[in-house]
Amino acid sequence: MSTEARKRLAYTHLFWWFMFANGGGLAALVLPVHILVQGILGPLGIVTVVDQHYDTWVNVLGNPIVKLYLLVLIALSFFHFAHRLRYLLVDFGVHTAKSVPVQVIFYGGAVAVTVVTIWVLLTTAPISFG
Amino acid sequence: MPAGWWLRKRHYFMYVVREFTALPMALWLLWLLFDIKGAGAGAGGFQPPRSTGFVVFSAVCLVFAMYHSYTFLKLAGVIIHLKLLDRPVPPRVIVFTMFGLWALASIVIGAVLIGFGR
Repeated sequence: MSTEARKRLAYTHLFWWFMFANGGGLAALVLPVHILVQGILGPLGIVTVVDQHYDTWVNVLGNPIVKLYLLVLIALSFFHFAHRLRYLLVDFGVHTAKSVPVQVIFYGGAVAVTVVTIWVLLTTAPISFG
Repeated sequence: MPAGWWLRKRHYFMYVVREFTALPMALWLLWLLFDIKGAGAGAGGFQPPRSTGFVVFSAVCLVFAMYHSYTFLKLAGVIIHLKLLDRPVPPRVIVFTMFGLWALASIVIGAVLIGFGR
């Protein structure tokens, strides 16, 4: 393998490792509180939560910082999930999970979720600083 | 590896559970995306998440998400190598800091999600 090809491979590994580690770290730090508040406490009526009313939800979603935060949270997490689930298949003896087509399916899925997230965030609530 | 290897030792089983946490967390984030999209339906079409089924689903996802957080942040001491004033930061300090960050992030995000609600 040429030095150039080796360097390219190293950068590719660096990129995927960066996405995997940061996605896992971000999900570890913030996902439980989202699930607890938006998934349990809010629906049970124990506390007031932004996504329980249309006007508060749209208001928060219009904030560009919130849009960016949600994009980073969802996109990075999905790159982490893709990596973990693919290697889980390898651990279960599904050796085709190492192949390029399967890598394309898993990481391509993460890219697809990222694109859909961008589209949803840009088309759902107009950007506003109010 | 033989089939069922992950059922032979508790350590292997917990490893598989740790890796599996990705699936329920992914499903919950897909729901969050759906919830965000719901805001585009307009005031008349918006349906806030309140069903019992959704709460049960979230409770299950929360267990997996907490396990992911615990195992991932605990590993920080092994993965992250920092030096402060030319001396390596002890792994337990890094782990303690990560768990502190988890608590802080939870308080801040929880306050935003609840504080902006009505």
